[in-house]
Amino acid sequence: MKYPDLMIEAIDLRRSFKAKEAVVGVSFSVQRGEIFGLLGPNGAGKTTTIRLLTGQIDPSGGRAVVAACDVVKDRARLKERIGVVFEEQNLYERLSARNNLRFNCWLYNLPESRADEVLDLVRLRDRAKDPVRAFSNGMRQRLMIARALLHRPPVLFLDEPSRGLDPIAAREVRQAIEQLSREGMTILLTTHLLEEADHLCQRVAFIINGRIVANDTPRNLKLAHGKRSVVVTLAAEQAGNDSGQMQEITLNMDDANDQARLAQLMTRSNVRAVHSQEATLEEVFIEAVGVRPA
Amino acid sequence: MHLRNILAIARKDALDILLNKSTLAGLLTPIFLALVFLLITVLVGNHTTEILVYNPGNSGVVSMVSNAFSDSQVIQANSPADVAAQFGANDTHKSSSYAIGMVIPAGFESSLRAGQRPQLSLYINGDDVGTQQSLLVQTAITSYSRTVASPRPPLILAAATINPPSDTKIGFDLGRIYAVASLMVSFITGLVLMPNLLIEEKEKKTLRMLMVTPASFSDVILGKLLVVLVYQLILSGIVLAIQGGYTGDIPLVLLYTLLGACFGLALGLLFGSVFQTTTAAGGVSGVVSFIYFLPVLFVGQLGQLLGGGPFVQAIKALPTYYMADGISNAMTSQGTFANALLDISVTLGSIVVLLAIATWALRRQAAVVAAI
Repeated sequence: MKYPDLMIEAIDLRRSFKAKEAVVGVSFSVQRGEIFGLLGPNGAGKTTTIRLLTGQIDPSGGRAVVAACDVVKDRARLKERIGVVFEEQNLYERLSARNNLRFNCWLYNLPESRADEVLDLVRLRDRAKDPVRAFSNGMRQRLMIARALLHRPPVLFLDEPSRGLDPIAAREVRQAIEQLSREGMTILLTTHLLEEADHLCQRVAFIINGRIVANDTPRNLKLAHGKRSVVVTLAAEQAGNDSGQMQEITLNMDDANDQARLAQLMTRSNVRAVHSQEATLEEVFIEAVGVRPA
Repeated sequence: MHLRNILAIARKDALDILLNKSTLAGLLTPIFLALVFLLITVLVGNHTTEILVYNPGNSGVVSMVSNAFSDSQVIQANSPADVAAQFGANDTHKSSSYAIGMVIPAGFESSLRAGQRPQLSLYINGDDVGTQQSLLVQTAITSYSRTVASPRPPLILAAATINPPSDTKIGFDLGRIYAVASLMVSFITGLVLMPNLLIEEKEKKTLRMLMVTPASFSDVILGKLLVVLVYQLILSGIVLAIQGGYTGDIPLVLLYTLLGACFGLALGLLFGSVFQTTTAAGGVSGVVSFIYFLPVLFVGQLGQLLGGGPFVQAIKALPTYYMADGISNAMTSQGTFANALLDISVTLGSIVVLLAIATWALRRQAAVVAAI
């Protein structure tokens, strides 16, 4: 199937639970092969947005199209075209890894051999016969990714894929996500780890109280919110003392005098380092949202 | 609704039930109980009831009487005198190896149909057959006669009892009581398994995963109903085989088995839709299982002994009373058509009501299933 370039499109998406508005007019789009991050504190509406986009709940207003399927009208087709990795580890604990996947093969009418293919993909083939209850958090997470990939969906939703994982397992999961993106899969992920989002996502959106307050590439967001300044590190003897220490000079690039001074300093031989003062994504997030991520 | 999805869920659950120690124990309990009952029956000495019959016309009434006992053997006599010689006159004391004797005139059924009121001589040995059982045998003969030529009292039943039992001698057919009890216990399996399967999907959040696959909420429910029904029927079949329950009116026994399984399933589905934790459902299922089983003590021979006090009348308000009564009557070929119709109607009606309530509760739940 040939999919359009626009794989996810949310237009003024809304969802209320009784009196509470969980998602309030969310609009964004995700291109084919893109990794898009939805970032926000607890209760911001990230998971509700994923539920709306995966057809688990109906929107109260607005519309969304995922992999050329309207999330309300084409729900049956939508289910065939999306993979979802949930925040909670919802596997059948008593069943083996292979049987967990075989079950989904039956549901998607796939040959059972596909289970072993995806087990190879997430490097769990040697543990295929073991019950899931004997798996570590990282192995469970990899198995959930394998399950979501079983039917080769063009769009993958990942809700907090690194939650509860140790750094090594988290890195393995990130590598798997990058590999899938390279293969052309469109990925929407939510995460509270802004460093992870910065590293993985081509674009991110900040969501708070059900509203998207920023949506751009991590680089543009950092440039927009960061300070235009550089820090020049000089060897100490040139700074007029013999202590052997380093001296740091911060220069504002919007100031003509500091620009001239930077040019002057760069001619000297004792310049050890020059760092631009780019903001981190976390700083941008705090500035834009007003709170730290969950 | 999609058959492929229903079967996929049923296959997964069939395996999961066997891998779960608590559900496996639940599955094996009725079989274990049936074996225990069988052992008790053997140890306590539920001996073979020997029936001596003179039956020149090969009347079907003999099998009706032998069906009233869980273990019986029919011996053919050469003449009415042979039977009379083995028993003797009413109220006399005589040693006899036979429990029951019958002299059935030739052409018994055609005489019944012609309204000639044929005489059937029945001999009871009080040493082997208690008062309740004696009444059961007489009821079996009368019921059979009515099925041949209804509705007038169609025969003359000349009963003679030797070695008359004391009024306090009960003389239960333990094998038959245990068969009904074991079967009722096997129906409880559905009551325990069904909510367990459904609630665990909610507790472990796997239901959310299923909702983003091609399976619908209806597929999930139907898959679980299917696997529990199959397990339930296999169990009931094994229990019946262990307890020698394939006697009496076998089609009716099988019908009640199916209805009993469906009743347990419907009740289990209701619990599964109402409760959100396996602990809560388990607690309530335990109490309900006791109430479910209670009517077993008030049907058949035990019921006749207990009579019709207010407590028994209260028990009759339970649908499981009619299920137990139906099974008991079917196994012993007792009961009238009207009785069977009442038992089936009440059981079937209860299943429909339970399913309707469970469906209503599940529909409400389906609307919020993603939030679970």
